[in-house]
Amino acid sequence: MVLRGSLLLWIAGWMVAAFLWAPLVPVLGETTRVLYFHIPVAWVTVFALAWSMVHSLLYLRRRNMEHDHHAMAAAEIGLLFCVAATVSGSLWAKAMWGSYWNWDPRETSIFFLLLVYAAYLALRGAIDQDERRARLSAVYSATAFVAVPFLMFVVPRIYFTLHPDPLINPRGKIDMDPRIRVVFFALLAGFTALYFWILSVRVRVARLERRSQEA
Amino acid sequence: MPSDGLNSRAAVWAILRKECRSEWRTRYGLNASLLFALTSLTGVSFAVGRLSDRTDILSALLWIVLLFSALASLSHTFVREVEGRTLTLLRLVASPTAIGLGKLLFNLLFLLVIEVVTVPLFLTLMAAPGPRWPAFLGVLGAGSVALAAAATVVGAIISQTRGRGALFAGAAFPVLLPVLAAAVSGTRAQWSGGAVGPELRLLCAYAVALLAASLLLYDHLWED
Repeated sequence: MVLRGSLLLWIAGWMVAAFLWAPLVPVLGETTRVLYFHIPVAWVTVFALAWSMVHSLLYLRRRNMEHDHHAMAAAEIGLLFCVAATVSGSLWAKAMWGSYWNWDPRETSIFFLLLVYAAYLALRGAIDQDERRARLSAVYSATAFVAVPFLMFVVPRIYFTLHPDPLINPRGKIDMDPRIRVVFFALLAGFTALYFWILSVRVRVARLERRSQEA
Repeated sequence: MPSDGLNSRAAVWAILRKECRSEWRTRYGLNASLLFALTSLTGVSFAVGRLSDRTDILSALLWIVLLFSALASLSHTFVREVEGRTLTLLRLVASPTAIGLGKLLFNLLFLLVIEVVTVPLFLTLMAAPGPRWPAFLGVLGAGSVALAAAATVVGAIISQTRGRGALFAGAAFPVLLPVLAAAVSGTRAQWSGGAVGPELRLLCAYAVALLAASLLLYDHLWED
């Protein structure tokens, strides 16, 4: 309860700081502020996918339903964060690039994540038996895992992108104002904690559902 | 064990032959897929007309036609086993990996037949300028292998779900997206006179990665 409350205060407080305290970046102007929301959310999207895929592989290895719960819960939360990242990125693209969507390699890769999440969850919905659902969705997850490095890293390297990468681009890191850095990393930590909190709740629900089915 | 390897190679070959024979008996899948490929080709050609000077659009359309044909037909080999209730028998006589590889080879052959019909027709109907054949065929070949590898493993998963064919396109598309991106840009590059090396490497690397992953995964596909 205390932890939950302080997480809420933490995120809300730093969000206010993002508007009142952190300075603006010259080229980005007022759109700088999307950075504090968009990047942490996009980071959780990728992190949740990795979490889901690693637990899928662990399920195939150990056949423990607990791993399946984690894979499922991470995918559900990941889809939510993916939508938030796509929408916030698209709004930013409208402000900076003049159109909501133009298939920039970054937009392609986030859209790909959206498709993977949606297909994974649709697949889970189409299988009745628990053990088979866990196994087949884990196999699908592992197959999609092969595509991730290609779309996340190879395609944006080959094709020209306009996406600013303050985290990946080392020059951007040096130029980053210390106040921006503090707010950004505080919110990155906040959103990651939010992810783990929702994950623990979702896994607990799945566990209880399984127990009530077995009983 | 070497003898085991030989056995499984024989099993892969036997599965491929069995697939071809049972397909040839009815030709239902082949006819449906060829008709589907022709339909999407006609739809595209009729809707946009001749496009000889826009090779960027041509390469996109070509791969959309091929992708649609693949999505319409490549889950067929597994769905047929499940619907005919023959999968259990098949599993008794061959290992999951042999089944997967045999069906992958069949899907590749299937795709080849579709392409032999579709690609020349596409080039003719759209009045496409003559492609640089080695580069064009290289991209087409590597793209087909990657397409078949992805479609086979997703088809095997999808055949065991409730809707069977219904989810195939949706589930296969994310895995096929890198193939589509690289193949379209490779085809475009060969028409515009650019280098196709990066795209060809990407397609080959992806096909190899998918093949390796599916070899590891086939064992987990059927257990109940």
